[in-house]
Amino acid sequence: MSTAASSSWGTALVKISPYTFSAVGIAVSIGVSVLGAAWGIYITGSSLIGAAIKAPRITSKNLISVIFCEAVAIYGVIVAIILQTKLESVPSSQIYAAESLRAGYAIFASGLIVGFANLVCGLCVGIIGSSCALSDAQNSSLFVKILVIEIFGSALGLFGVIVGIIMSAQATWPTKV
Amino acid sequence: MAGFSGDETAPFFGFLGAAAALVFSCMGAAYGTAKSGVGVASMGVMRPELVMKSIVPVVMAGVLGIYGLIIAVIISTGINPKAKSYYLFDGYAHLSSGLACGLAGLSAGMAIGIVGDAGVRIRFRNMCHPTSTPWRDLALQFLSLLRRDLP
Repeated sequence: MSTAASSSWGTALVKISPYTFSAVGIAVSIGVSVLGAAWGIYITGSSLIGAAIKAPRITSKNLISVIFCEAVAIYGVIVAIILQTKLESVPSSQIYAAESLRAGYAIFASGLIVGFANLVCGLCVGIIGSSCALSDAQNSSLFVKILVIEIFGSALGLFGVIVGIIMSAQATWPTKV
Repeated sequence: MAGFSGDETAPFFGFLGAAAALVFSCMGAAYGTAKSGVGVASMGVMRPELVMKSIVPVVMAGVLGIYGLIIAVIISTGINPKAKSYYLFDGYAHLSSGLACGLAGLSAGMAIGIVGDAGVRIRFRNMCHPTSTPWRDLALQFLSLLRRDLP
């Protein structure tokens, strides 16, 4: 019997069903992404509306910042749908087999990645979108320049989606024996 | 449990390492991008022509996200118990490498954000004339510390 058998992490983890991990991962992927999108939209939206009092011309152009934040929520939905198609039912003798456990962990980590990457992306885009609206109200030549910074920020959500999808390919369940 | 070796739970730590690599690097990249972006926008109101030159901190912060992406992909494609046995050792190694990359990216991103924000604002304030370069500004800063009568 190897010494790893005395690992308390191992004995605790192996008793948790992989479906628990998968479900939590899928929930985090959509829930936390939407949290990030909402946070970004409220940061951007409040600045936009406030700045538009004195400069109403900025409203239609600066909606693009809100759209960038919304895209983050859409990434979360897409990955959550992809992850839930990766769930398969295995016979109850196989639920705690090594391969099922690995599949459960892969879906969990994939959901975590997408959720939290989208959370910080939404925040980043929201903060920059708010400064974009405020500087656009001062000087309309600044809009496109600050938008370039916002595009850099929105790439972070894409990184999360890419890694989440690559990792979800690791979620292979044992075939029914 | 007879024959339980703990190695079935090794992928948990491995995948968490990949997650940590990406999530923390993205946090650093987001902080750097947002903080320096706000500085650039604030400065751009006074001097719109300097905005495109001051995008460097934003690009540097974005690169941190790419580092995290690379490490996360390398780790997650390395977890393949069918091809090569995946022991707890490998799981812990992946966890620590992911944390190393991620937390370093987080700190770097925070540093880039704070320095980028401050640097962009100082660039505007300390400029002697519109065609000044950063080296000239820095040199003049240092010289002015040595000699009080320099502007």
